[in-house]
Amino acid sequence: MQHLDPDRLVLLALSEPQDPAEADHLAECPACRQDLDALRHVAELGAEGQDLGRLPAPPERVWLGIEAHLAAAESPAPVRPIRSGRTRPRWLTPVLAAAAAAVLAVAGTVVADRIGQRAPAETVTARATLRPLATVPADANGTVRVLSDGLMRVDVRNLPLTTGFHEVWLIDPDHPTRMIAIGNLADVPDATLPVPPGVDMNRYRLVDISDEPHDGDATHSGRSLLRGTLTS
Amino acid sequence: MDSDDELAERLRDGDEKALRVAYDRHGATVLYLAQRLLGNRADAEDVTQLTFVAAWTGRDGYDPQRGTMLGWLLGIAKRKAVDRLRSAARDQRVAETVRAQVPAPDEAEPPERIIDRLIVADELSRLPTEQRRTLELAFFDDLTHPQIAAVTGLPLGTVKSHIRRGMANLRRRWEVDGAASGSRSARASRAL
Repeated sequence: MQHLDPDRLVLLALSEPQDPAEADHLAECPACRQDLDALRHVAELGAEGQDLGRLPAPPERVWLGIEAHLAAAESPAPVRPIRSGRTRPRWLTPVLAAAAAAVLAVAGTVVADRIGQRAPAETVTARATLRPLATVPADANGTVRVLSDGLMRVDVRNLPLTTGFHEVWLIDPDHPTRMIAIGNLADVPDATLPVPPGVDMNRYRLVDISDEPHDGDATHSGRSLLRGTLTS
Repeated sequence: MDSDDELAERLRDGDEKALRVAYDRHGATVLYLAQRLLGNRADAEDVTQLTFVAAWTGRDGYDPQRGTMLGWLLGIAKRKAVDRLRSAARDQRVAETVRAQVPAPDEAEPPERIIDRLIVADELSRLPTEQRRTLELAFFDDLTHPQIAAVTGLPLGTVKSHIRRGMANLRRRWEVDGAASGSRSARASRAL
């Protein structure tokens, strides 16, 4: 039995009419029928795909979430409650604190006039090392220190230039669409920003520095530059 | 443009930029599938996110010899979406909803069919321009071959040859990469 030409089957699967000999063959040849069915199915799938050619890209927050997951996965260990996890023996802490206090007391009397209102000792409750995202020059970096008085010291270096401004965010890596804007970085490498009271830093532990345009849109631009996870 | 092979290699090497390339290329299609399966934008975005995170952590498991990256990603997305539907169903049972109704907006349409359509659409978009244009006129405008020849100014023989080659490409891709992987091997492919 002479099978139908494969090329001919393709045309039949679209619009070309079958001639009587072809129809006869198809009626008695399961293999050709199966081929024709497969081709018709593909043509049908193709015809249904008219609106699929240019699907809209997902909003940038989806990518931000992916990045947040990856960043959280790369941090060495899950974040423990802030202040815990110190290696120093518990008994030593008051001793050291007392010694430090004594030194500060002495030093404080000497330099207090010069440093004015600046607190003589700041307690860092959490810190993060900021690393550049894949799209950012590799020499960009920074550090973040969260102080016990609710301030956050952000120190960044080699950020790419922006026509807008750089903004600091705290993100919950478990729910990456949840984020808190902390403030903008001025054109100085070292900024001190207040963390809004009541923010759970164990949850909002991913620090993100973004490049924001001056577009009046207060939400994250989706262009993250640096990321780092706060650890105690 | 990186091929799937190159992209897979960069992924295996731990290059996060390669994941971004894959996302830029296929994120929209993954989101579309998730939205169709879950019927809810927020869940669909979540599943899209989970899909690419899973692709990253499971990047060693992708073998370009066995299918395209899009096919692989859509397979992951389908599993994630089905997991989500199941857990939603479980939550509803726990809540003792009188008439448990799983949010399956497209019950009439099996996921495999949606995936197959996405795969064929993707292949269509990759065809050489004239092949693609010719098939689009046949598929979307329902033109006969002589009409296509008239519209495009191409000789009828050229139109037919574009259609034949284009269809062969679509069918091959569907057989390699379509979602109905179970029945795929059973499908005879005598012609191609």
